[in-house]
Amino acid sequence: MDLIQELKKTPFYNIHVNLGARMVDFAGFSMPVQYESIIKEHEAVRNKAGVFDVSHMGEFLLEGKDVKSFLQYVMINDLKLLEPTKGQYSCMCYENGTVVDDLVYYEEEPERFRMIVNASNVEKDFQWLIEHIEGRDVKITNLSLERCRLAFQGPKSDEYLQPLVDVDLSSINRFYFAHTTLNGAPIFIARTGYTGERGFEISFDNKYAEKVWNDLTKAGASPAGLGARDSLRLEATYSLYGHEISDSITPIEAGLFWLVKPKEGIDYIGKETLLKQKSEGTDRIIVGLNLLDRGIIREHYKIFKNGNEIGFVTSGGFSPTLKKTIGLGLVEKQYSEVGTEFEIEIRNKFLRGKIVATPFYRNV
Amino acid sequence: MEYEFPDDIKYMKTHEWARIEGDMATIGITDYAQHQLGDIVYVELPEIGRTLEKDSNAGEIESVKAVGEILMPLSGEIAEINAIIIESPESINSSPYGTGWMMKIKVSNSSEINELLSVEDYKKIVEEEKK
Repeated sequence: MDLIQELKKTPFYNIHVNLGARMVDFAGFSMPVQYESIIKEHEAVRNKAGVFDVSHMGEFLLEGKDVKSFLQYVMINDLKLLEPTKGQYSCMCYENGTVVDDLVYYEEEPERFRMIVNASNVEKDFQWLIEHIEGRDVKITNLSLERCRLAFQGPKSDEYLQPLVDVDLSSINRFYFAHTTLNGAPIFIARTGYTGERGFEISFDNKYAEKVWNDLTKAGASPAGLGARDSLRLEATYSLYGHEISDSITPIEAGLFWLVKPKEGIDYIGKETLLKQKSEGTDRIIVGLNLLDRGIIREHYKIFKNGNEIGFVTSGGFSPTLKKTIGLGLVEKQYSEVGTEFEIEIRNKFLRGKIVATPFYRNV
Repeated sequence: MEYEFPDDIKYMKTHEWARIEGDMATIGITDYAQHQLGDIVYVELPEIGRTLEKDSNAGEIESVKAVGEILMPLSGEIAEINAIIIESPESINSSPYGTGWMMKIKVSNSSEINELLSVEDYKKIVEEEKK
């Protein structure tokens, strides 16, 4: 059975295959894990610039008089901090404070918002939003399959991109966006990213896919796959849905205290539970992990203290920038202080580790 | 994708190779194996002096995305391990048959050498796996 035929393809699929990328199933899409080497692609992003196909992610347009108050109801972050041309990171939560998804939305106009969501949650998020409109004047359009998305990240991203676009990139501050053209192709461009480097995330109509990709790689960006995307975000200590946040881990447990806003006088889903967790604390919390013995930290490994299980690894791997293994884990609050030593069970052996401060790396 | 298949060594279907020199054998993993694993970031090898049986566990090799078990191609005593790959595991990716060698053993049962695969037989196994 040729599974590839059943997987969805992004408009960049042929480019990936022609570059010899190793393709895997991710959220129902055939996506490149690596082209040549995860570590080389990771280093290219840290040293100059890389371009990632993130078209498997979801893109929604929300329009209507009540969009802002609707988002205030389903989002835990505060839209009072927004203005046209600005975006905001947030979680949508369940009543019990656990997470439906983490995402970014951008205020195009007070009654028009663009939202980018995780690939694994596109249908779930769309349903969640629709179900909670509840008579408000809000219309939601799913643009995921008609527009493609690229992440362009690295210290040289401004330098490489400026000659191609019709906007002064230095005027776009972090989390702000613009509509411009890239060598004639109309694009939405935001100064946001998931790598811990300066960079942009752009979305545009599918018909410009190959043209924009070629313009960006000709400008100097290296193709980078999902493997590098994961090792970069782990170094930068950005949460990954299903790992540090999920339908069983709240933003407060994930350490995202700042994301849970008081929003006085405004009701939002999860508000009571989350504000309580914010003021009283939680029994467990996400922490940074290093090993003292040789090995590699990986997801799901159990964490022990004095023979008792105190938590588990939510994400782990090798950091090309720090040249050692790093990880994130959910541990009992009483053992979460930086410097605390623990044991981690790796294939029937117990290795020594230590809790460390995060982020491991940021250069934004 | 062209993989390297030196013809002066013997192979295992689990992708280890053995270069026989007198009563010693140098052991490593093949070019095909290093390519499948991707960037190798960690290697664990047995202690010098240990005696291990053919096909038993002889350590672990981890890449960014995968964990693999190394098996002994032949029974013998671990005589030497390659310090270079402990320090720089990526040497296995760049030179799986050269500087990326893993360990040298004193072969205890030379008749086991006949059970190893020739380069032609190993190539067939790789062809099957690629399908």
